[in-house]
Order: sequence, then structure tokens, then C-alpha cells
Amino acid sequence: MEEKSQKTGDLWSGLALAALGVYIVVEAQHWDYLGPDGPGAGFFPLWYGIAMIVLSLALVVSSVKRARSTADTAMDWRRVMRALLVWAALVVCVAMLKLLGFVLSYALFTFMVVAVMYQRPLKSAAVIAVTSAAGFHLIFPTALGVTLPVGVFGF
Amino acid sequence: MRIATLILAAGIAGVVALPAPVVAQGWKPTRPVEVVVHTGPGGGSDTLARAVASMIEKEKLVPVRLQVVNKTGGNGSVAAAYLAEKKGDVNTIGFFTGVWLTNPLVATEAKVTLRELTTVARLVLEPAVIAVKSDAPFKTMKDFIEAAKKAPGTLKQSGGSITSRDNVVRQLLQKSTGAQWAYISFPGGGERISALLGGHVNMMVIEPQEAGEHIRAGSMRVLAQIASKRLLSFPNVPLLKEAGYDVPVVPQVRGVVAPPGIPKENLDYWEGVFQKFVQTATWKKYLEDNQFEDGYQNGADLLKFVDTFSAQMSEILKDAGVKVVR
Amino acid sequence: MDIITGLWNGFAVALAPINLWWCFVGVFLGTIVGIMPGLGPPATIAMLLPLTFQMAPASAMIMLSGIYYGAKYGGSTTSILLNVPGESASVVTCLDGYQMARKGRAGAALGIAAIASFIAGTVGVLGLMLVAPPLAKFALSFSSPEYFALMVLGLAMVVLLAGRSMIKALLAMLVGLWIATMGTDLFSSTSRFTFGNMEMLDGIDFVVVAIGIFALGEVFCNMETRESAQVLPVPKGLRNLLPTMQDLKDCRFAFINGSVVGFITGVLPGAGSTIASFISYGIEKAVSKRRELFGTGVIEGVAAPEGANNSETGGALVPLLTLGIPGSGTTAILLAALVLWGFKPGPLLIQEHPDLFWGLVASMYIGNVMLLVLNLPLVPVFAQLLRLPVHILYPLIFGISIVGVYTVSSSLFDLSMLMAFGLLGYLMRKLDYPAAPMVLGLVLGDAMERALRQSLMMSQGDLTILVARPISAVMLVIAVLVLLVPVFGSLNRLRLQAIESED
Repeated sequence: MEEKSQKTGDLWSGLALAALGVYIVVEAQHWDYLGPDGPGAGFFPLWYGIAMIVLSLALVVSSVKRARSTADTAMDWRRVMRALLVWAALVVCVAMLKLLGFVLSYALFTFMVVAVMYQRPLKSAAVIAVTSAAGFHLIFPTALGVTLPVGVFGF
Repeated sequence: MRIATLILAAGIAGVVALPAPVVAQGWKPTRPVEVVVHTGPGGGSDTLARAVASMIEKEKLVPVRLQVVNKTGGNGSVAAAYLAEKKGDVNTIGFFTGVWLTNPLVATEAKVTLRELTTVARLVLEPAVIAVKSDAPFKTMKDFIEAAKKAPGTLKQSGGSITSRDNVVRQLLQKSTGAQWAYISFPGGGERISALLGGHVNMMVIEPQEAGEHIRAGSMRVLAQIASKRLLSFPNVPLLKEAGYDVPVVPQVRGVVAPPGIPKENLDYWEGVFQKFVQTATWKKYLEDNQFEDGYQNGADLLKFVDTFSAQMSEILKDAGVKVVR
Repeated sequence: MDIITGLWNGFAVALAPINLWWCFVGVFLGTIVGIMPGLGPPATIAMLLPLTFQMAPASAMIMLSGIYYGAKYGGSTTSILLNVPGESASVVTCLDGYQMARKGRAGAALGIAAIASFIAGTVGVLGLMLVAPPLAKFALSFSSPEYFALMVLGLAMVVLLAGRSMIKALLAMLVGLWIATMGTDLFSSTSRFTFGNMEMLDGIDFVVVAIGIFALGEVFCNMETRESAQVLPVPKGLRNLLPTMQDLKDCRFAFINGSVVGFITGVLPGAGSTIASFISYGIEKAVSKRRELFGTGVIEGVAAPEGANNSETGGALVPLLTLGIPGSGTTAILLAALVLWGFKPGPLLIQEHPDLFWGLVASMYIGNVMLLVLNLPLVPVFAQLLRLPVHILYPLIFGISIVGVYTVSSSLFDLSMLMAFGLLGYLMRKLDYPAAPMVLGLVLGDAMERALRQSLMMSQGDLTILVARPISAVMLVIAVLVLLVPVFGSLNRLRLQAIESED
């Protein structure tokens, strides 16, 4: 099943990488291919950019060929959405660091993960969130003297 | 007084974005001073800043703690931009090096030059020596230059990036003598030395301390020194000028800056601190231990130095074929 | 320096109480991350690296290496008890280890894994000690062309062994090369791929990429489902942890095989410990008189791969400490660590910092003894770790990752890059792009471009410099042959077999 779902993935990731390859080659045109003493800044990017285009197109072609011979099954989107939701929550947590500081953002993030993603009771989620955030604060800034982002509340 | 300080401290703790407190005559910092450096822990600027901070504390020149903050990234431009953002902040200073001067010349992304900051003091000039492998045929600087003239482009020098002092010295020597040799960049000092000791390149510009270790091990020989006067550890090695090559001594410079737009009292305070600091015996011993030259200049002189240095560098870099953007 | 004096001084360093303590912390943490499935040594070392800035470099190196080889001890426990590899190098151990456990011989399997690990791990350190110093001297004659050829060979091996699809491995490597070229070009001071960001003028911090791809990507993948991997009951009767005399006799050859194969595979760039354990299992099976019983729980089927993946550690440190070239994800991070602590990895490292090298060697002898103690009598205690609920563990890993990145540069920009690489790491896992070629492409690619350009500067643009020098010519030829392997049917089957057993 995993094997089958690869094809669409190969197709789209191949196209994306081909686009990246084109971008790299275009950018590389702005830099010297050969400098006064040897290859310039554009030499290496140009070649790996070309290699990237060739290989990604080969991937696209092979995925299209395979698509004809076997049936394609979709990815398990529910699982993917779950992972992406955690990612989005983490992004929000990082975005809030400047405003809320590490301790508070991290506690909120942990609470969300435990309560929503793992559906533990709210009370135990709160306990886990508070203990682990406090633990980080005690270990890093307090004991090790490592600076962590501080928010408007001063911690 | 004590209560006022407490209230002030509480206020600052509560609202971080609070603007600088009103400054009276004879201003002194009342909360820990942030010392911004552009290298990570253990890097050149970081080491110097921590050493200076602890010496200043030991000499009791500043009533509060100096706290080193590492703002790495962008070849120094992140730290410079951070200082520029702190416009008017009287509790922050930074340690700059030559890369803060050259980087904005070649990278459009680096927007903050020392002109945009407040110059406080120049502290250190780092000398260097020109070294070859001990079994190389070159006994003097002249031998090397003559050999390079005879076969242009075949001799090689290992060094850092194209904007580093290593290459600047090469450019100046090539221009004044007409000799030519290749310059090969290596990112790490270890690779530069390995290339020389492995016989893959013929010459390099190296810090005196490091050269000393290899001379003791019998693997290197020093042809000339790049300094304004002979180093204590190399009394018999001629300066470039004494060897017959009167090129400008390109200093590797380190010093202190503050954010832009700070009141005059604060600038006076910091200038005073460093003026006193450079006269302490601790500092003099530190300079000697590290084979640095005392490069003290006050803020106004440093600003003049910045202008001449930038103009000089921009010309040298253009000669070297580097695109200069400002 | 002569080996005896070197080792003597090394023990003086390693036996200092503070270093003994860090060595213990390292192997202890290593055992834990080895046992925890989904938390491997590269992720752990990357996360802890920034916290070592305040330690003496020798202590830090001793601790991080302790995590590296300690994890290989711990990994076998999970393989044997759960049939899930605790870390990737213990995959092969599942085959016979789990079967032994099912037959009620979990104790003997765990015991022999610890003993084989100890013997081979010690042989690996011995090899490191004997091979590294002379190799470093020899490597001084390496110039840029040889380094270029070595990088090409390393990347070729990585690609060969990386995953089912070679195209995808190559593409992952090329993305690594792209990231490597971001920032200011050393040779011309041109800004490349900075998107106008001053934060990117000196490129993207390697630690950010490593933590994002290895730690975050892995955890996102694990969080797709609410269920954690099913924890089977830890079998009772672990009292009898010591294998019988007959067991030891059966394993005689496996100890030697694992030690030698592991070390040699480790020295080769790109092969890594998973491959080492696979090859040594294959050899063990090939020469065995009871070949047909392999996979049903024969004890040498546990001893050989467990030995090999421990001996590999010593081997993998050889190119790292003598040439400054990493061969795997973990050693790539250790290289970054050495640079961050201000060392200059390369042929002069051992000569200039004998304390670091010999201290590390001595600490590894000591660490292996500590691990034997930790993993023989205390294995039942560690096995309890498999019961720690993931909803506590995963948020902690996120927290440590954020702290780890923030300590490097105090930069929120780096944290946003971390988020981007976490997502990339997840997508790569979903789309079956291997992570190791990308990370090595990032590390080696940077050095490879430099070596190529340095070579051509030395030869004034003449490409023949790359093949005119014998050592570099030989390595380039081997690299081409390596890349041709998939073309030959029978060899390709072997390659696929090697990769198959990794999944």
C-alpha cells in the first residue's frame, strides 16, 4: 500500500525539484562561471542545477510510466493532516516566542498536544504542560545559564 | 537612591521595550550591560569580549556586570544590525572586527556600516607574519618575490576568503613589485597550514602565535612581519618595510562600538572607561600574552580611521576583482 | 607521539573525575536514546551540541561520543524485546534476537549482545588508536585533488546504500549541495541564494538542518497516529543474563567477524553501522554450519551484527579525526561540533591536540566498560523506559530542539528555519527520500566544491590535475565503479537486499 501511494508523491516532488533545478540554473547565470584564478561562484551551482533537472525529470517520467501499469492509492490524508497540525502548532509556538517567551509558549504548545492530539484529560494535560515548561526553565536559564526567549511578562 | 534604582529595575523588568532612562551628568549604567559579539562562543570576538569584560570587572571600571551576547550570522552583519536597531539604548555595546568594515563593502545584504553606529574605541591591532615551509628555497622575502616574478602565477599562497587580510597583503605586494602568484582560499586555519606543510602551497600569512608553535616544531620559517614595529617574539625578522617592501600595513582591527543616537554623556562615559582600561597593567599584559599591538584610539579618531580604511579596502578589493557594492 | 605515551596521557585526561562523569553521562544517555525507538544518536547529539559550549572541548567530545557508541548498546535491547530497532544500526539484531526472546532466551540474547558489543567496541577503539595517527601523517600529503576525489567517493557510497531509489538519493544529495552553497562564496565574496536576507550571508547553520531533519521530521512522522508502538511485556527471567559456555563457543567466530568487518566498514566513507551489521550477519550466515537456522534465533546471529555496529564507531572516527571528513550523519554532527569548539579538523588535529584524541581514545575504553556494566545487570531497568508515554516524550523533544537551536545563535530567524527543515524532514520521510544523503551532501558538498575549485586554481584551470595524481585517480575510478553497481543485476540484488533489511 505504501508502495502504491509513492507514485503521485514521486510525480509532484519530481516536478517541484525540477522547478528548483531551473531556479538554481537561472540564479547561477548571475554569477561568474569562470573567475580570474579558476572556476567562479556560478560553476558548481550550474552543474548541480542541471543534474537536478535531469534526475527529477527522470523521476517524473518513471512515475508516470508506473502509474499506467498499476492502480494508485491515495495517501492516508488523515495521518498527514495530524502531523501537519502538530507542525502548525509548533510554528505558532515559535511565532509567539517573542511575545510570550519560551516558558509560556511551550506550556501552551504542550497542553495543546497532550489535550487535543492525544486526548488526555485536561487536568493531566495541564499538569504535564506546567511541569515540563517549569523543568525547562529550571534546567536551562536557571541552572545552565542558557538564555531563552523572554516575553513581555519578563520570563 | 536605592529605592529609585529598585523601582527603575522593576520597571525595566516589567516592560522590556522601555526607552532609555533620562541621563544625568556623570551617568553610570544601572543594569547589566549587554556586550554584543558576532562570533559564537569561543570565536575570536567572543574570546576578546569575555576577556575584556572580566578585566573591566576586576578593575572595577564599571559598576554593573558586562554580559556577552552572541548574535552570530551574516558575517557580522546580524550583530551590527542588532546594534543599529537598539538606537539610543545606553546599556548595550558591541565588539567589532575588520569584517564589520569589509562585509558591507561586498554584500548588499549587509546594510549597517560602522558609520551607522557610534564609534567608542579602537583597542587592538593584530599583527601577522609571512611564513614558508622550513625546507622551502626562500630565505628572505626578496627570494620569494623574485621567484614569483620569474614564473608568474606558479607560486601559491593559502589564505582565507578573498576579502581577508591575507589576500589584501598579497594584492598590495603584487601591485608594488609586479610579481604574481596564485591565491587559494581555505575556510579553516588548519587547512591553510596543512596545505603549506604538505607542500601544496608555498607561502601563507599567519598569526604570530601559531607561527611560533610551528617554528619551534621546526616546520616553518618566517620571512617578514606585518606590523608597525617588530614583535617581541620575532626580534630578528624584518618588517615588510625593512625588507624593502613599503606597502601600507593593513591592520586586523578590533574595537568597541555603541548603538546609534546615544546621548553625549553616555558616549563620554564609555570612552572614559576604555581610556582608563587601556592603561591598566592587566590589559597591557593581555596584549603581550596574545602578541597583539595596542591600537587604542578614541571614538572620533576611530571614525576617521573607519573612513580611510574603508576607502583603502574598497580600492584594494576592486583591484582584486571583487565586486564592491558601496 | 608514541602510542604508549599517548595512551598514558590519554588516560590521565579520561580518568580526571570531571571527564569520567561526562563519559558516564554520555554512555548513560546513549543507552537511553538507543533503547527509545525513534530517537537516534544524530538527533540527540544535534540537540545537545549547543549545550556543550560551556564544557571543556575534550569533555564535550567524550560525552557526545559516549552517546554515539552507547546508543548502539541500547539499540539491541529494543530489537530483542520488541522486534523494533531502537536505533537503525540494530535492525539486523531483530532477526535472531527477537526469535531468541520468543523462545524464552531473551536473557542470553541481551547478554551476548552486551558482550559482543563490548568486545568489538574495544577492538574498534584499538583499531582507531593504531590506524588514525599514521593515517593522519600520510594524509598530510593529500592535497585538494585527493580531497575532492574522497568526497566524490564518499557521496557515491552514500547514494549507493541510501535507499530503494537511487534517483531519489541523488536528488536528496543535490538538495544538500544547494543548501551548502547558500551564503557568501569564500573565493569571490559573491552572495548566493540568500534571498536578500542578511541572516543567510554565512549560510544556514548545520545544527538547524540536522535537528530539523533528524529530530523534528522523525517525531512528526511518529505523531501521525495517536497510538504509540505497542509495548510488549518485558519477558521475565532475565536473571539468567549470562550466556552459557556453549553460547560463547558458538559466538567465537562472530566476535572476530563483527570486530573486523565493523571496523573496516566504519573507515569506508558512507557505509555506516547499519551496513556494517548487515555485512557481518551475511558473512556469519555464509560460513556457518547451521546456515538454515539463521532467523530462527541462533545466538551468533545476534553477536555478529551487534559486534559490527559497535566496532564501526571506532572505524568511523578514523576519517573524522584524520581527514576531517565525516562518513555518516552522526559523524557529520561531531565534525560540526569540533569546528564549533574551535578545532581545525584535518591531518594536524591529532598532532596539535593530542589531549583531545588520546583522551577520547582512553575514554572509549572506559566507556565500553561502563556500558558493559550498564547493559548487563541493569538491562531490566532500562527496558522499563519503553513504557514512557509518547505524549510526554514528544513535546520534550520539540522543546529540546528549540532550546538547542536557540542557544547556537539566539536567533528567531534560525528557529523559523528549523520549522522549515522540520517540515522538509517530514515530507522527505513521507515521500521516501532518504535523509542521510541530504545531510552529507550539505557537509561534503561544501567541502567538495571548495576542493574542486582549489584544485583547478592550483593547476591554473587544467582538469587533468584530478586524474594525474595517483591517489585521487584511484579513488575517482572506485567512485565510478560504485555508481555503476545498480547496472549489474546480481550486484544490485545484493544492494537491494542490504537496503531491504533496513526497513
